[in-house]
Amino acid sequence: MYDHNEANGYSDDQQLLRLRRASSRGTNQNYPQFSWSSSPTDEDEEDSSGLRRDLKTIPMPMALKRAVRQVQQMQVPVVSSIDSWKRKRTKFLHRLRDDGREILSFFTLWNRPLQKIGGNFGGGVQSYFLFLRFLVVLNFVSFLLIAGFVLTPSIIFRSVGSILVNSTGLENCTNYDPNPQGLVVFYTYFLDILSGTGFMEYSYLFYGYYNNTVVENSNFSYNIPLAYLFTVVFYFAFCLICIIARMGTAARVAVATGGNAVGNYSMIVFNSWDYGCQGEQATKLKQKNIHYRLQVDLEEQRINKQAAALTPKQKIVLLSLRVFMWLVAFGLIITAFFCIFLATNFSQQRSGEGGILGLVFEYLPSMVITTGNFVVPLLCDQIALIERYAPSTTVIVALLRAVFLRLVSLGVLLFSLWRQITCEGHTKSGDCELCQYNYKVYPCWETRVGQEMYKLTLFDLLINIAVLVLVEFPRRMVVDNWSSKLAQMVGRQEFVVPSNVLGLVYGQTVVWTGTLFCPLLPLMNAIKFVILFYCRKITLFYNCRPALKTFRSTTSAFFFLVVLLFGWGLATVVMIYSLAEIRPSMACGPFRFFSNMWTVVPTSFYSLSELSQEFLFFIGSQAFSIPLFVLSCVVMCYFIALASVYGKNVALLRAQLKLEGRDKQFLVKQIAELGRQLQMTKPNNGLLQSPAERFYLQLTLAC
Amino acid sequence: MGTSTSQLSKEDVSEYQELTFLTKQEILLAHKRFVELHEDKKNPPDTRHFRLTMDKIVKLPELQCNPFRDRICHVFSTSEQKDGSLTFEDFLDLLSAFSDSATLEIKSHYAFRIFDFDGDGTLGCADLEKLVNCLTGETDDTRLTSEEMRQLINNILEESDIDKDGTVNLSEFQHVISRSPDFVSSFKIVL
Repeated sequence: MYDHNEANGYSDDQQLLRLRRASSRGTNQNYPQFSWSSSPTDEDEEDSSGLRRDLKTIPMPMALKRAVRQVQQMQVPVVSSIDSWKRKRTKFLHRLRDDGREILSFFTLWNRPLQKIGGNFGGGVQSYFLFLRFLVVLNFVSFLLIAGFVLTPSIIFRSVGSILVNSTGLENCTNYDPNPQGLVVFYTYFLDILSGTGFMEYSYLFYGYYNNTVVENSNFSYNIPLAYLFTVVFYFAFCLICIIARMGTAARVAVATGGNAVGNYSMIVFNSWDYGCQGEQATKLKQKNIHYRLQVDLEEQRINKQAAALTPKQKIVLLSLRVFMWLVAFGLIITAFFCIFLATNFSQQRSGEGGILGLVFEYLPSMVITTGNFVVPLLCDQIALIERYAPSTTVIVALLRAVFLRLVSLGVLLFSLWRQITCEGHTKSGDCELCQYNYKVYPCWETRVGQEMYKLTLFDLLINIAVLVLVEFPRRMVVDNWSSKLAQMVGRQEFVVPSNVLGLVYGQTVVWTGTLFCPLLPLMNAIKFVILFYCRKITLFYNCRPALKTFRSTTSAFFFLVVLLFGWGLATVVMIYSLAEIRPSMACGPFRFFSNMWTVVPTSFYSLSELSQEFLFFIGSQAFSIPLFVLSCVVMCYFIALASVYGKNVALLRAQLKLEGRDKQFLVKQIAELGRQLQMTKPNNGLLQSPAERFYLQLTLAC
Repeated sequence: MGTSTSQLSKEDVSEYQELTFLTKQEILLAHKRFVELHEDKKNPPDTRHFRLTMDKIVKLPELQCNPFRDRICHVFSTSEQKDGSLTFEDFLDLLSAFSDSATLEIKSHYAFRIFDFDGDGTLGCADLEKLVNCLTGETDDTRLTSEEMRQLINNILEESDIDKDGTVNLSEFQHVISRSPDFVSSFKIVL
């Protein structure tokens, strides 16, 4: 007879074929109830070899587990000392691991609040907050990296001073005096904090304050420009690794199972109840969520069936409608870009003015970007509704358009900055002829770019707080206390996860772009996200009603990270361009006398020892890199083959399960036949006599 | 029964630590809550024999609004009358299966038993219908229509019933569950 997979802990219950089960069923009043408790003595036979099964994993009541333990303890004298030592060691390691896990959960940030959020608002909202927590930790660790390798050495070696290079004819390029002159009005300090100018400009916050000190003692040397460069490059690589590692958990499930989900319905029905959900409100909420989700999925299935049944003419009409709507969306996005471009140019032209008006002009690009980011996604949502996609596709399409808009609007801002700095790319003409960058407007252009990123980050935070205080709280008070039709129609605010996630991705992209020019930006961002966490949590619990449409939390977490990677890609392009193409300012910064930032690496390379130089040359040469490339291709092919083999294995096992089911049905029919034959030949007194007959009866009833 | 104390002995606690997934603090907290549920200060309950009736257990805030509370009590109850009453050890078994560190096998095993409303060892159409009604709420406006229910049950059986016998058995159920990384974190009750 067949036996189920021994590795799963539940197989003992299915030992229908063991005669001992017949005697373990005390009273027959359990018929036809299925009895889940297997006899304790069954455990003996499996455990006689090797380590005993962990008692905790046996799904039996406590009394039976105790009996098993007694039996196992009686077996102890038979076991050799090596086995008992191994067992003790495993027990000790398990206990250590459990204690370690307890301590770790104590230190994990915000564990309890996240559980509360998940219980009350569902997995989708909780995935936003988990994403936020991930970004806070990432930014904080990045700050520690930068502080350790760039900030602290700069502070320590500040007094060493900078290296000057004799550069005749370029005195104009080295004119840079950011300190405020003369008498300063008190409110300028406030304006300076907001815009990063004045007393904040010449500080560790921005690139311009760092010197190109190279410390060389007999037993210690530290090259600050090199450290700065490598730290920034490593920071980007570190963030990429963290994101991919985090994506790995979610992706592993999808890839290992061959890419197709089991099916939404079984998953929803078997899986979606959250047993940690407490309270009447939260339970009703969860039930409504599940109800809505099931309805939406069933409706989507019906719609898909209908769509597959469309006539060709109807299909053409739908297709042309969709193409038209994509063009409209595209046109909207182009318009938004154009507005941002104009605003940035205008702001750059009027950058010298002071006072409140000057502040308004400085923040003009940020304001236009924020307005665009608010208005265009709303319109994109409406457009997506017209296109009549299936509900889940609608959400994804609207999200992708909004992502495109947000990230490329940032790109437009950077592009217009670039035009100003490099005189529209013509670095050999006009204002840029002397220093290869526009030294008149930007004596220290890196600090200027850093200031723009600083302003974007700060403005984002201030807007979030302002919206919380001025829009969300009043909205709730109005809706709760004023019972008119208009108020009910507007209703309490809903916590929309996708647009909030976009805000986070945008903020993080700004930070990545700006870190090269403003090294303390990750710290600022960590603090900003912490404040944002508490603001969002407050608004969630006090002002929001729960969203009717939920996201599936694992797929959404994966999607957020994919979008974050887009942002990372944009920032990497900016960083590589700044490192390789634009001439660093001659008046400030650690790279002031290099022709581009990357040349510090070859220059310091030649100061290494002969052996290291040869080694590094070898690594960079073709003799090494081509075999390495070939090897990584081979390894990648191996893993792809492995993954496909696992997928095929899964399909094969499923087919086998089907066949076994059919075998089982065939055998049951045979047994029923035999039982009938036996009954016909025996006198019928209502009770079957022999163990064999009892066995047959159990088998029939249990299958 | 009246002579044994309401305090747990050290040996008992370490035995429970070995037989369940609970830590020492969790066991002590569970004992405290169990005694509180008894609501009778004069007669402290004996851990091995005294049974709390189901209507007292479902007063726990963690279980009060759970639509599966009756089934949970029945599954973990070892009483002969099948009335869902729990001894303290049954209560510990319950918390162990729902704890943070319980394995996927244990959780899916007990989840299957909880969903098996008629106790026949498989999830048939009636079980699935009752399950869906528990999930969406019992009131009329939160139930699915009968046509939607039929469509849903057909879909579920099509996806998970591998041997096509019209019911979902334990291995098919665990096959579905093993694909989901959320299950272990949602099948959790922490006091």
